[in-house]
Amino acid sequence: MATKSIQKKHSVTQNEEPILVISGLHKRYSEGKSNEVHAIRGLDLTVRKGDMMAIMGPSGCGKTTLLNMIGHLDRRSEGNIVIDSIDTATLSDGKMTGFRRDKIGFIFQLFNLFPFLSAVENVETPLLLKGMKAGVAREQAKMVLRELGMGDRLYHLPSELSGGQQQRVAVARALITEPAIILGDEPTGDLDSTTSADVMNLFRRINKLNRQTLVLVTHNRWIAEQCDYIVHMTDGKISRVEQGPFTKEETQ
Amino acid sequence: MGLKSSFMVAKRSLWRRKTKNLSAILAVTLGVTLLVGIQITTNTLENAFLTSLLQNEGEVDFSVVNATTGGYLTAADIANISALVPNAVGIMPELTIDVPIMLGSQFDSSVELAGISTDFPEEFGTFYDWKTGDEIDIGDYLTDNTTILLSSKLAENLGLDKDVALPISVTTEFTNLTVSITVDPTTGNYTATPTYNTERVELTVVAIFDSSRPGIGSKYKMIMALEYVQQWRSLQDTTRETNCISSYLIALKTDHFTTEIDEDYLQEQVDLFEESIPEDTYSVESNRLTFFSVAEIVMTLLSTMLTALGLLVMVTGILLITNVQLMSVEDREFQTGVLRAVGENRRGIVQSILIENVFQGILGGMFGLIGGLAFGQAVALYLVELFGTGQHSVQPVVSQEIVILAVIVGVALGIITGILPALRASRVNIVDALRGIKSSFEEKSGRNLALLGILAVITGVIVLLYNGVLNEAYQPIWVSEGWNTLDEWRTILTGAGLLFSGAGIVLSRFISRTKALNITAIALWAAPVFLFAVAMGEWITDITGLATDILIIGVTEILVGSILIVAVNLPPVMNALRNLLVKMKGLKGVGQIAPALISSHKSRSTLTYAIFAVIMTLNVTVAILVPTNLSSVNQTGEDSRGVDLIVSLNKAEAQIANTSYVEELYKLDSHITDVIAFKTYSTTTDYTKFVAVNDPYSSEFNAQTDLLPIGYGEITSDQIRGNATDTYDSDWRYDFYLSSFPDSITQPLESDVSDEELLDMSKQAWDLFFNSSYTMAAYNVSLDALLSEDRDLSDVDLSGLEGYGGNELEGVEVLQDENGNVIENPVVFTDSFILPIGLQIWIPMNMSEYGVPVYQAFTVAGRLDSNRAGGFPLSSFSVGNILSEGDFDFVDFLGKIYLTEYWANQTNFLAEANGKTSTSRASNQYDCFLIKTTYDIEDQELESIAQTIEEFTNTNDDGYRLLASDNFYVASTTLLYSTVESTLEMTERVVSFLQIYVTFGLVIGAVGMAVISVRNVSERKREIGMMRAIGFPKTQVMISVLLELVVLGVIGLVIGIVNGVVISAGFANMQNATMIIPWSDLGVYLGFITLIALSAGAIPGWFASRIPPAEALRYVG
Repeated sequence: MATKSIQKKHSVTQNEEPILVISGLHKRYSEGKSNEVHAIRGLDLTVRKGDMMAIMGPSGCGKTTLLNMIGHLDRRSEGNIVIDSIDTATLSDGKMTGFRRDKIGFIFQLFNLFPFLSAVENVETPLLLKGMKAGVAREQAKMVLRELGMGDRLYHLPSELSGGQQQRVAVARALITEPAIILGDEPTGDLDSTTSADVMNLFRRINKLNRQTLVLVTHNRWIAEQCDYIVHMTDGKISRVEQGPFTKEETQ
Repeated sequence: MGLKSSFMVAKRSLWRRKTKNLSAILAVTLGVTLLVGIQITTNTLENAFLTSLLQNEGEVDFSVVNATTGGYLTAADIANISALVPNAVGIMPELTIDVPIMLGSQFDSSVELAGISTDFPEEFGTFYDWKTGDEIDIGDYLTDNTTILLSSKLAENLGLDKDVALPISVTTEFTNLTVSITVDPTTGNYTATPTYNTERVELTVVAIFDSSRPGIGSKYKMIMALEYVQQWRSLQDTTRETNCISSYLIALKTDHFTTEIDEDYLQEQVDLFEESIPEDTYSVESNRLTFFSVAEIVMTLLSTMLTALGLLVMVTGILLITNVQLMSVEDREFQTGVLRAVGENRRGIVQSILIENVFQGILGGMFGLIGGLAFGQAVALYLVELFGTGQHSVQPVVSQEIVILAVIVGVALGIITGILPALRASRVNIVDALRGIKSSFEEKSGRNLALLGILAVITGVIVLLYNGVLNEAYQPIWVSEGWNTLDEWRTILTGAGLLFSGAGIVLSRFISRTKALNITAIALWAAPVFLFAVAMGEWITDITGLATDILIIGVTEILVGSILIVAVNLPPVMNALRNLLVKMKGLKGVGQIAPALISSHKSRSTLTYAIFAVIMTLNVTVAILVPTNLSSVNQTGEDSRGVDLIVSLNKAEAQIANTSYVEELYKLDSHITDVIAFKTYSTTTDYTKFVAVNDPYSSEFNAQTDLLPIGYGEITSDQIRGNATDTYDSDWRYDFYLSSFPDSITQPLESDVSDEELLDMSKQAWDLFFNSSYTMAAYNVSLDALLSEDRDLSDVDLSGLEGYGGNELEGVEVLQDENGNVIENPVVFTDSFILPIGLQIWIPMNMSEYGVPVYQAFTVAGRLDSNRAGGFPLSSFSVGNILSEGDFDFVDFLGKIYLTEYWANQTNFLAEANGKTSTSRASNQYDCFLIKTTYDIEDQELESIAQTIEEFTNTNDDGYRLLASDNFYVASTTLLYSTVESTLEMTERVVSFLQIYVTFGLVIGAVGMAVISVRNVSERKREIGMMRAIGFPKTQVMISVLLELVVLGVIGLVIGIVNGVVISAGFANMQNATMIIPWSDLGVYLGFITLIALSAGAIPGWFASRIPPAEALRYVG
């Protein structure tokens, strides 16, 4: 429950049970047509609870597609995805929506905040969708935003916030339901290096405190090295996995 | 970058955004369809009405008659007339006489029997057989003096159908005058004693011609060969002269039904002819010109309303197009930002958008033209039903201008509605646009705008000062009299509109725009609301000046004001809605999104509900119009003063020993409680009975223009007062209302006098009428242009038809004779709207020994209220009848003059003043009977009483015919309630016609909503993707889309209901009617709006909810 503050500490424990198991995953666009694109080609991956993983690879290698598959924003062509011991293939669309709302948090490069809602309204929306009372949801949203240093920007519209501030709102929205996995698609891609570092620190803190799993897609080696391990992708497949920890001197 | 690059951008944008362009084209199409449709409809309506009037004229443009009223022409005149009308394509002689005809129990008291030459010129058209449709050569049929042809219209009236076996016979009567001359043996003087006998003749109908087809057949009801009609007419003539022609008919062109003659050309030809005729020989009559004028009067009333409505419905089209264009621009802010970033200047952006709009305009204009033609065609078909004139006469009128106009307007609409969005696009902040930040609402106004505001304030003040300061004919607004005429209100509304709009703009530089615009909006709305809800009927006593412009200004300000009030207060309203919805289970997410979306896209939302606000205002107004009018006639029971039924006989009742028609009526049904018998007389063509409106004994008297064929009636004290002795005695027998009163009755100034006051005044007037010593001054009032030589009916004042009009004689001079004495005359009352109160008239009382009428002068002192009980029951005239039956009887149209018993007895058409003549009658010979019963006026039982009376009178060799030993009696019964019903039916028809317009607006709203919904969804793909990503179920995505539309629709409906009620209150006040709000209709509107919103949003909403979130998130517009 989100009523628990993210300040409640949990230590990251190795050898945890897997939170995400992907096997034989394929994704083809324009299926059956001559110009079919085979974006994911039989991918297998296991992520344990509390892991912080980065996905790297050249443009068009299928990183974002993989992330969309994990987040169930897009339909898979073939293969299985098991999240938190639930085989999502068996879920109906309605159940899947609820599952996504409760288990998965999204953070996008372009933030994807509702432009017509204020910061606090953006953050409280997932709680309202869970059926929480409006007053309680508002209080929790405020609390999370304050913890992320956005206490003085609660009622600003996204257009009135800087990029870093918008991303903090997006992070707050992703965290508020305490999802099992947080998926970040180039979450710092639109930010300068100082702000990126701030956001990455924030991710690390969340990962450490709440034992939430983070999967980040990035082009930035330094960002990737903040994670526990890096999965490299080429042509829709995993080409290699780099295990951390990575030293600061090497990466900065 | 120049025009070329703008073209390139526009071309690509048009090609790549096909669906979105389609919606813009659709919007323009609807707008143009409206414009073209309304134009075609109005033209068609005018044409249909004119055609229905002109149909009776066949191919005749004018006719030439003897200059002496009642005189005849001869066969020899054709040579002179041909020489005088060189432009005529056809001339034919005609002799008409009016005869009664009877077929079984069907009777028509006066049918025109026309004698025409069997080899009439072909330019006048052809007769067609009713059944077979084949051409008829009338020469084959009209072979003797009892053979006639009937028109299909008359045949239908007599209850015949196409399959009737011919020949059949109908009975008629011809008057036969014989004069016995005796010579006084002592003086040697001759004394001529005329004797009138009626000769009953069986006529044989050998064929029935189709009178609904264009051509000569539409002109006649019953024809016989000219020479035989001449024979029958000669019976009325002591010299038995047969060489008589009543008129020569002139056709200036053929095929009038295909192409109507130009009114100006006809007038010019008539004028030319009149100038060239030798004095006292011929005179010209052109019914066609008269009907042009009649059509103009009626059409001015109707087209005023249609134009006002049409303009407002057009506004919805413009709102829709602007909305769609605005959406296009908002949708493309990112691309516009990119274009600006890569070097396109503002002009280029505006250019490329306008090029797109021109293209959309051209296509929309062309499609709109097709739509408009279809709309016009549909309405034309409806008009055929409305006027019942036959499909040949009602064709949609499509002028060439409309075709060109449609495309021009399409382009113009595209450009005009695109300018604002294009300018907005050109001003995008490049950085914001690229970052995807939507331009926000500026809180305060700029300096230029404030200057504009100051200018509006100054203009507004000047306009307000116009009243009483710049124009002294009006009262200034700081005195209470300054608010009591519509002309003053025109300036009040215009001035207040400018002043408050300007003030709002100026204030918005200093205080927040929301507050400033609230002040403007409330003031804009309140001013006309005050006019409609309070001033109309309360302060404004004279509503005759209600012109289209006042209506349009008032309605526009109400609409703009109300729409603006909601627009500036949209955020708090939406916040309240959000707070409500987020408390509801399953709608929390929807509550978070939909209201925020509405208030964040303020311009778009405002334009959307504005469409519905305008349409609903019109719909609600029209919906309230019907029941409100109903309520004004629901007073029938009260207004009819107890009379339920009217019976009229085709001729005065017979003199039967020991009984009378009244006594026989009492015997027929025990529910009959009172029968009031009247004598009436219709002058028809007997000019010696016409009323003179100038002194017939003066040298200035002109028999051609100063005689009017108005009918007469007698009203006795017993008929009206019964046993009552004075005004305050409640025991009146039939105390019906007057709408204009003698000068000695004190009249209140306000037009909204109560029924009780009116009745009191009416009773006082009746007391004066029956006071044999009462006389009233003649006033310096003139008769309308109706009597001038060109008979221009457009100047006729129809206000007499509209009930009480206040003291009409205030400030009018009385007439004096040469010695300076005020001219005073005995009085008559009238139900004719053309005779003004105070007019001096001369009525032919009887014939002198020289055979010329003896005239008596009267003053017109009172007008019977033709609104009460659906018109004075004795008068058959009603606008409703003309419109519904397309049958225009000029004599009925003019109404009657009512004389007291004393004066009626001085005539030999209502009595036997100087011996018995063909028109005279005994004191107890009545022809019109008002019947009171124990039933309510709406009771169905009255129908059976009416039937009993008709059976009693109209059955051969039985009942009354047997009693009178005369099978030529026919009774026509009318239920008083049915006359109201027919008026009501006409109102409903007219309203249903208006409903077509407003319903069309509703369709525009529906399609518009679908367009807006599709655009909304396609533009918000990314947001929908976000919603799905953070866990919005499909249902809530769909509900969000739907809710936005429903909320906007309902806002429009609420504004519409409030405005509609306010405007209708004004109309109801004006008509002294109780406003009735048809809640069930409003419920239907609510249902309709919800349904439109749901169905318009359902499909795009469904698609939206099914877009894979990943795909939706990639959308960049």
